[in-house]
Amino acid sequence: MTALNDTLDVPREAPKPRTFAGPFWEATREKKVLLQYDRRDGSYQFPPRPTGMRSGRRDLEWREVSGKGKIFTFTVARRAREPFRGHEPFLIAMVTLDEGVNVMANIVNCPLDDMAIGVRVKPFWAPLPDGTHLLMFEPDR
Amino acid sequence: MAWHDCAVVAYAETKIVEKSDRDVFELGAEILESLLDRSGVEKAEIDGLVLSSSMTGAGNPFWSQATADQLALELDFCQTVDIGGCSPAGALARACMAIDAGLATTVLCLFADTQASANNRRVTQDLTQFVGYLGPPAAFGLLSRRYEHQFGLDYTALGKLAVAQRGHAVLNELACEKLRRPITVDDYLGSRMIADPIRLLDSVMVCDGGSGLLVMGRRNAEKRGFTRCVVPIGYAERTNHRASENIVDVTETGHLAAGRRAFAQAGLTPAQIASFHPYDDFIIAIMMQLEMLGFCKQGQGCDFVKAHDFTHTGDLPLNTGGGQISAGQCGLAGGGTNLVEAVRQLFGEGGPRQVKDTRNALVTGIGGIPYGRNWTSSAVMILTPDA
Repeated sequence: MTALNDTLDVPREAPKPRTFAGPFWEATREKKVLLQYDRRDGSYQFPPRPTGMRSGRRDLEWREVSGKGKIFTFTVARRAREPFRGHEPFLIAMVTLDEGVNVMANIVNCPLDDMAIGVRVKPFWAPLPDGTHLLMFEPDR
Repeated sequence: MAWHDCAVVAYAETKIVEKSDRDVFELGAEILESLLDRSGVEKAEIDGLVLSSSMTGAGNPFWSQATADQLALELDFCQTVDIGGCSPAGALARACMAIDAGLATTVLCLFADTQASANNRRVTQDLTQFVGYLGPPAAFGLLSRRYEHQFGLDYTALGKLAVAQRGHAVLNELACEKLRRPITVDDYLGSRMIADPIRLLDSVMVCDGGSGLLVMGRRNAEKRGFTRCVVPIGYAERTNHRASENIVDVTETGHLAAGRRAFAQAGLTPAQIASFHPYDDFIIAIMMQLEMLGFCKQGQGCDFVKAHDFTHTGDLPLNTGGGQISAGQCGLAGGGTNLVEAVRQLFGEGGPRQVKDTRNALVTGIGGIPYGRNWTSSAVMILTPDA
């Protein structure tokens, strides 16, 4: 069986968010998931954008969500660039949050045999150098 | 065409500041919102985007695609005009050309830059750097796994495509020498995993090289006595297919929309295509294009592959120079390898790999890897010889 790396030892830099993505990263200091919510369209969106995906208007607010969801698809990264080189293999997945958006993230605490499309997951927070956290996921057993 | 057949119906400007505390895409969002409010045009009606070049985005070869993604615009035409200070006026002229050619009906011309604020110059994929994402192989790993989940995936069928293209590279003296050795389906299946289930022999190898074409008006070509030439009879592109949706079926691509329009313009059906020269960054992309272009139904690509012969003597010759996967990918010029091979075949100059049926050729493009989708832009072109 393939032994997977949780990539927690990978030296990641602090995020440099775009000006319209700041609240998402700030909330990770308290391990909270914030999503943009388009008040005109009544829908969540991710990743953060400078405008509403359907409306084209900037009538957006940030709302806290649970961060729970399920695996949409995944891959096993067996080759990687720095700083991930030498930490392969590890999991990269798209996770569909319960609010209907897809998030790309590493999956931890999950042997490859337990990994499948549809598996329920919950947030796992990896510390970053500036006190923010990286949103990862682990199985919601 | 006359220039005055097109009309500017609204304009917008942001406040000009010494140093912006807003990202360049945020300026674009303000301009977009302002134009929508002033004109009453719906965002979904915008089907074209022409940008001026940007110092902020100058390091990004996907500038127009990145902007379309950030503004969630679904487009049938987009480009960056990179003639420096002439770019905004040049953009309006090119918007008129696109409308005149029928490529788009409603075009956003956007000129935004944040050159003065140095910290806005970064244009990397700041959302994917944290996950160890190796770009295209990881993206196609995610895509392939999802395809397999929805429809099943017969890897021997994908191997058959890899073997056919490799056979063509062996016959192509211009192909990268390292790749001019025949392979078998077992070689394909046994090649090492890069990003499961993407294997080494699914993937392009980045190389160096170039290609080009010379184009003139058809009447001019006749007057000049060119007895052989190649003529486009259908072309369409789609950028950000289903752009306004958060979660898309990643097995459906922009080739679905672009293919329908290109085939309608050409007056042809997929069954009438004489040779097929799809953009090939990964083997599964070839199969997905067969589905999206209507050679078979979505999800039935593997069955179609097993039922047809893709060698240069077969019933649907495929990338007869080896494609990018077996001839080598010339960086962002790589699509020229597929296009020029199609033109070469229609000139009848394929040599040992010449196809019999030169009535037409189908060429495609794929460009850009967006966050968690399939690919950003899809292009479809149908060519015929005009002897």
